[in-house]
Amino acid sequence: MNNRERSLSGEAVRLEGIVKRFSGVTANAGIDLSLNYGEVHGLLGENGAGKTVLMSVLYGLYRPTEGQIYLKDRPVAISSPAVAIRAGIGMVHQHFMLVPRLTVADNMVVGWETLWGPFLDRSRIRRRIGELSEQYGLEVDPSARVEELSVGEQQRVEIVKALYRGAEVLILDEPTATLPEQEVESFFATIRALRDEGKAVVFITHKLREALTICDRVTVLRKGEKVGTVPASQATESQLAEMMVGREVVFEVQRERVASEGQPLLRVEGLTAVDDRGVPAVQEVGFTVHDHEIVGVAGVQGNGQSELVEAICGLSRLRQGQVMVDGEDLSGAPPRKMAQAGLVHIPEDRHRRGLILDFSVGENSILGRQYESPFAIGQVGQSKRAIAGYARELVERFNIVVPGVRTPARALSGGNQQRVILARELDRKPKVIVAAQPTRGLDVAGIEFVWEQLLAMRREGAAILLVSMDLDELLTLADRLVVMYQGKLVGERKPGETDKQEIGLLMLGGAVETA
Amino acid sequence: MKLLKELGIIVVSVALGLGVGAIITAATGYSVPAVFRELVRGAFSDMYRVAQTLTQATPILFTSLSFLIAFRAGLFNIGAEGQLFLGGFFAAWAGFTLSLPPVLHIVVCLFFGAAAGAVWGFIPGWLRARRGANEFVTTMMLSYVAIYLTSWLVSPGGPYHGHQWANQTARILSTAELPRMITGTQLSWGIVVGGLVALLLWYFLFRMPRGYELRAVGQNPLAAEYGGVDVAPTQILAMVLAGALAGLGGASEILGTHRRFIEGFSPGYGWDGIAGGLIARAHPIGAVFAALLMGALRAGGSAIDRAGVAPSDLAAVFQGLVILFVVAPELIRYLKRVRRRRRVHGRPEP
Amino acid sequence: MDVLSLDIMVAALRLAMPIALVALGETFSERSGIINIGVEGTALAGALIGATVAFFSGSSVVGLCAALGVGMLLGLIHAVWCVYLRADHVVTGAAINLLVIGLALFLTRVVWGWRGTSAAVPTLNPWILVWGMVGLIVLAQVYLFRTPWGLRLRVVGEHPQAADTAGINVFRTRVAYSVLNGALCGLAGAFLVNNLGRFSVGMVGGRGFIGIAAMVVGNYRPIPAFLAAYLFGFVDALQMRLQDVIPSHFSIMLPYVLTVVVLAGFLGRAHVPAALGKPYIKDQG
Repeated sequence: MNNRERSLSGEAVRLEGIVKRFSGVTANAGIDLSLNYGEVHGLLGENGAGKTVLMSVLYGLYRPTEGQIYLKDRPVAISSPAVAIRAGIGMVHQHFMLVPRLTVADNMVVGWETLWGPFLDRSRIRRRIGELSEQYGLEVDPSARVEELSVGEQQRVEIVKALYRGAEVLILDEPTATLPEQEVESFFATIRALRDEGKAVVFITHKLREALTICDRVTVLRKGEKVGTVPASQATESQLAEMMVGREVVFEVQRERVASEGQPLLRVEGLTAVDDRGVPAVQEVGFTVHDHEIVGVAGVQGNGQSELVEAICGLSRLRQGQVMVDGEDLSGAPPRKMAQAGLVHIPEDRHRRGLILDFSVGENSILGRQYESPFAIGQVGQSKRAIAGYARELVERFNIVVPGVRTPARALSGGNQQRVILARELDRKPKVIVAAQPTRGLDVAGIEFVWEQLLAMRREGAAILLVSMDLDELLTLADRLVVMYQGKLVGERKPGETDKQEIGLLMLGGAVETA
Repeated sequence: MKLLKELGIIVVSVALGLGVGAIITAATGYSVPAVFRELVRGAFSDMYRVAQTLTQATPILFTSLSFLIAFRAGLFNIGAEGQLFLGGFFAAWAGFTLSLPPVLHIVVCLFFGAAAGAVWGFIPGWLRARRGANEFVTTMMLSYVAIYLTSWLVSPGGPYHGHQWANQTARILSTAELPRMITGTQLSWGIVVGGLVALLLWYFLFRMPRGYELRAVGQNPLAAEYGGVDVAPTQILAMVLAGALAGLGGASEILGTHRRFIEGFSPGYGWDGIAGGLIARAHPIGAVFAALLMGALRAGGSAIDRAGVAPSDLAAVFQGLVILFVVAPELIRYLKRVRRRRRVHGRPEP
Repeated sequence: MDVLSLDIMVAALRLAMPIALVALGETFSERSGIINIGVEGTALAGALIGATVAFFSGSSVVGLCAALGVGMLLGLIHAVWCVYLRADHVVTGAAINLLVIGLALFLTRVVWGWRGTSAAVPTLNPWILVWGMVGLIVLAQVYLFRTPWGLRLRVVGEHPQAADTAGINVFRTRVAYSVLNGALCGLAGAFLVNNLGRFSVGMVGGRGFIGIAAMVVGNYRPIPAFLAAYLFGFVDALQMRLQDVIPSHFSIMLPYVLTVVVLAGFLGRAHVPAALGKPYIKDQG
């Protein structure tokens, strides 16, 4: 049933007037879109422009509030992903939909199994996966466990998974977001191969250059509305950029030169740490961050950055090594001690670590300082008035949009939640800031805000360790870059003396010899 | 505003529970009006009966507080029954072995009860925090152990068998007795102790840094850890407090009501505490009212039996139904939405 | 006294069965992401209704079917509460336990006129059930790891979003396995009645919780969970014989103490399904 022998040409999908509202918020406001077989169609827009929502409607994850979907000119109601899969639509989500503990084969077939009687026919499944991976040049090992795979390999698994289910329309949501520069090229080759096979490929991205490189046509969305569709061959970057943000320039960061006094505020030596499963994730890492300096940590996700940050900040046990904050040895000290010594942490996941969502903004604004005066009166009382006053001050100074300081943090937008965290941490006048992916999932205004704040702290003399998956962010902000690969530091560069190509190569561990 | 909404949800839940209870009453062939009339009359109609309601509410208040303090830390203490028995026994032991001046003796006995319960809370707390053992299984298992242990202590073969034909200890000294509040009733000053403890607990949870940390651990242990809270010790502390509160409940019951430890003296106050804590939405002041409701159900339950209207255990069925609705606030919100939609559209939407 | 006689090993199998059934049911339920500590009460309800129906119909088989039915009903309530109403799983389970205890005390009074126990009810040869169950457990192991439904179940409990995007209905899956769990617990209750020949309100006596412990020790796999349940059954059989040697109060504690010790020793090593106890929220607007 997976071999559809029909010839594929012409219009695959047409969306007409798709409207999607979530309890009052309009994510898509009447969008028309046409996808052809044998085409790579770019869906371009900022975070929050409604790209993913639109494609989730097509994939049956959301039911549209209004509008109609046509498949090969026939009106269809796609009420669930099961319906979409049967209709030949596949989607690779930005966050992979794979179960780490299961094998590649099990992950690929779940919900679409090949059977022998009532049992899974694992040998036929493996054979079929082998055929597909050969046909499209997507190398995967069906019997490996997903948790053992790199991000690039997991992405291949996701694509083969969609093909296994007979996808003719393939939606790829920000597929290059987590890929290093070097893997992007071979990934593009795969997409072209799929297109040449006649598949309709939707490529969701916010990166202009990639849209122009790989797509045949590009549709730009802004704030839930369609700005227009243009053939990639006739479009320019600046034209698309204007369509995307509605103004000509993105933004220029003021990075005035400030001289470091050469004071090592954060020194890490020989640090070794393990992940949740006890597997070594960071090995013998050492570096120094000085005053007035931002050191960026580049690397493909999952190469030990999270474990490095947690180990530095005292959130996970240090196996080995030293962490010195302003000359004081704080190896393995708990978070409270770290904070008292002047090290603050912007955690990578604001919901998991950064906030207590059901606590009020006020209560969240003192998290980590709950035992300090004036919030605590001795250790036997808590001053509600001091907390509320402090929270109000932060709300004003950091332009946090919030109905009141008694509002639960859950009710805030992602950008404002991140502002609460930044306000709380930066207001402690830290010597050292460990910022892990501080702009993840934020819109342009949010990113701009975070960048300005970090640069302001640098101006005031803080040492900043910035972990990011976004090379552009690192190249814009960092004074120095270190690259992490498989738990080790494999190179150090200055942004002015390097480019994305070279950093990308280091991120893949490929340039150790040349470095 | 928020408080009103919460109250509304609780009231509707209680009404739903009693409504389904009425259906069961009718289905089993009893008279619904008679049952509800006797229930209310039995719980509130005169001084004696109100005192009876309060007497029943006292241990339930303690076990409700016990459940909710653990719940606030994200843990489930469903073994309050056992902690209650241990607390009761050790309070009794201190009551008949030590000889101390009047007021001090009571305080010491209460302390013994709380300490015994605390030990019984510490074990599952430690096992959870350090070894990852499900506290809802271990508290339950340890509850059985405590019940059998105390039962052995007062059995004919045990060391504290203090009566010819009943399995109970000797009577506590009069200096250890929690005095009665109203003569001729069983109501003791234990209820006042319970009220004070509820206030203290409220202050701890909402007005002390440690309470803030405990709630933070309950809501999001990872964020709490990030905020400099020692998660494991906080969890252990919560379970120790939970055990102590249940133990205190047993002590107050023994010192105030029975004046000796009796095998099986609790008809399930530990379980009522789960109900009370949930109805109170884990709020210490709410627990006072929740305990009164539970106490009224128990007192009223006995009354419907005495009046020959229906078996007393019908009240336990009511209680179970009320809880079932209280734990699902979404149900009430859902019903409200459906009603609103009907009002707007004139018919329910598919 | 010969502790390790064949006799005791066989008796242990019979005592282990209710625990094993709960462990099996809970394995399915937790694999789908739903914790149910209401298994204690569900087994009690199975025993209560099983005994009542057997008493009136005079047929143990009809009683057994009724026990299955009431178990499924409670499993359904638990699932609706946890899946659709997003109630806390542990709290809902506790509520079910409380409700059933109340019902048991009440119904025994209504039906037999005394509190908490029933009159003698008809029973059937337990060994038919025992061997049937052993077969069921082996089937369950195969089902879980060799069939597409087992695979889907595991994905739902590990990564509900992945299941959803693969076209699997997460809500319905969870409801279905919660109902199955209820059925198995109801059966466990019927089994207890069959062992004793009557209903008694204390007859489950923590075996539901011990069943959960057996599941944890068995690392969410049917056959290992059964072996763990057998261990508890063995200790139960043993304690009955030990009563000649030490006070019964202490021997009776043995399974409970063992449960605590074993949980303390085993946990941390078991792999808990990643989405266990968390409601799946589909943002549908």
